Amino acid sequence: MSVAGPLASLPLAAAGEVGEGFFKERSSDTLPCQATDKLFCFDWAKENIGSFGTPTLQHLELVAISVAAGFAIAFALALLAHRRRWLQPPLLAATGVLYTVPSIAFFFLLLPITGLGRDSVIIALSAYTLQIIYRNTLAGLANVPDSVRDAARGMGLTERQILWRVELPLATPEIVAGLRIATVSTVAIATLAVLASGGGLGVKFYTGGNLTFLTSIVIAGAIAIAMALAFDVVLLGIQRLLTPWRRAASG
Amino acid sequence: MPSPEVTSQGSSDASAVRYERATKRYEGSAEPAVDELDLEVAAGEVCVLVGPSGCGKTTAMRLVNRTVELSAGDVKIGGSSVRERDPARLRREIGYVIQQIGLFPHRTIAENVGTVPRLLGWGRERIDARSEELLELVGLEPELAGRYPAQLSGGQQQRVGVARALAADPPVMLMDEPFGAIDPINRERLQNEFLRLQAEIRKTVLFVTHDIDEAIKMGDRIAVMRRGGRVAQYATPAELLMDPADEFVEDFVGADRALKRLALMRVADIDLWEAPLAFVGQATAEVRAKLAGAEVPYPLLVDSERRPLGWLSERDLAAETVPARPDSPLGPLLDRDDVMRDALADLLQGEAQYAAVADREGRIAGVLSIEIISEFLGSPAAKAEERGAAERPR
Repeated sequence: MSVAGPLASLPLAAAGEVGEGFFKERSSDTLPCQATDKLFCFDWAKENIGSFGTPTLQHLELVAISVAAGFAIAFALALLAHRRRWLQPPLLAATGVLYTVPSIAFFFLLLPITGLGRDSVIIALSAYTLQIIYRNTLAGLANVPDSVRDAARGMGLTERQILWRVELPLATPEIVAGLRIATVSTVAIATLAVLASGGGLGVKFYTGGNLTFLTSIVIAGAIAIAMALAFDVVLLGIQRLLTPWRRAASG
Repeated sequence: MPSPEVTSQGSSDASAVRYERATKRYEGSAEPAVDELDLEVAAGEVCVLVGPSGCGKTTAMRLVNRTVELSAGDVKIGGSSVRERDPARLRREIGYVIQQIGLFPHRTIAENVGTVPRLLGWGRERIDARSEELLELVGLEPELAGRYPAQLSGGQQQRVGVARALAADPPVMLMDEPFGAIDPINRERLQNEFLRLQAEIRKTVLFVTHDIDEAIKMGDRIAVMRRGGRVAQYATPAELLMDPADEFVEDFVGADRALKRLALMRVADIDLWEAPLAFVGQATAEVRAKLAGAEVPYPLLVDSERRPLGWLSERDLAAETVPARPDSPLGPLLDRDDVMRDALADLLQGEAQYAAVADREGRIAGVLSIEIISEFLGSPAAKAEERGAAERPR
């Protein structure tokens, strides 16, 4: 039972080479397969699954708050830029710059201002959603046919009524599409929150310094993927509910 | 003038629209798009603005509902200036139909039709009742009310567009090439339906088109426009065709304007010829006597109710009495209500020189000949040629 593969250099795995007797003793201990390179240790999972509850909830919270804040800001910016065309290029550039800042760098840049913890994480994660939501909202508004806008104006809708009763409902598919991409990517990026002591599922990726444990990563990863899919399905459902005319047209 | 039945439905009266030196200048363009336009559209009339593209006709139309703002001058609706009105409120009182239709894709047909009533704060039930009434008025099935625009054909969509424009019973309608994007068959149908509708509702309509045939068909009056929104001629369709003001109008109206006049007339509008009538069993000598000096050189066989049966030939007249079955079939039988252009087409298609015209009861009312039409068109050359070629009808 020699240890090989990518985990060979890890301290825990290396423990197996100390001596057969010692190893056997350890292997019959409470962490029977932690010392192996098995992808998934079922016994461990059964015993420790409860410890994923809090990180999952934290993660959910991080994503929900970040996307909601990002959406509020990006949506407002898009409406502003829709009304004042000259704002479009500078706002696109600004949100684009935010989008390209590496996430770890972002956390550390925020350190002197908001310190370690959830606030920094939420600010960074929100900033990442801006670009996609802003762009999609603007694109959705721009896709409204001129003839529809012309008819709306000609029938006596005010500019505000045109925006809220005609343009935004018609832009809903694009806006929700942006929201879906932003949410799914935020679920992924939020695993880095642990680097800024922000909690979340990342806690289960980086346990004990540079010590990694595959089973924990697999479980945390599975939860993250399930969370992303769930968000996506919910948002898609909301879009369907909000745009009944689209199904009617294709059916 | 609104018809009594319409006023009883609570329709608002149509209002006259008057342009007073109305001018629109766009920044950065040397010439105004519309230059001091003076034009008066009487209440309840369809005024067609027609002209080549870029002549400013659409701009001129849009000055009325302020979707294009005046640079100078004024437009008055029922005597009051549009400049003094809040644009959104003004527009709710003016029906608006555009070529691209512009239905709201996310609203059902009933909701689309109810757009302006909703803006005006009508109650839900009143809006629903009005939508239903309008869909019927424009000839749409009530089942369509719950559908979305994408589920309708182009022709149906523009019917909804017209219904939507009429929803709050506006005294004025603006129609910008409303049937321009519809296929020719449906376009003709929609034009006819709109004319029938307009005969009932009597709105003041400003109708923009680049198609002179459509202008002649739809307009009570036509304003032919040239660049800068200048009116080259403002006249009834018949005046325009008979007496174009200048070369520009003549060119625009087209070389076939004589033919177009035929589209404006019905068979009943023209003096028909009288055919010598022959009855079954009548002595042929009597018929021959009638032939002398008759406008039509062939006797027309009719039954006892004077309903035309066919034409008698020389061979028929050689007998003692008029036979029951004539040698020549009747050929095209026209109705007094037929449009002249169609009557001519029937004559040409039947390769006939003469066609019997019947009244509503089917009795003979007279005979239409190619010669009558060419005389009407005032073409002496055509007349001579046709006289030379005159032969017995089939």
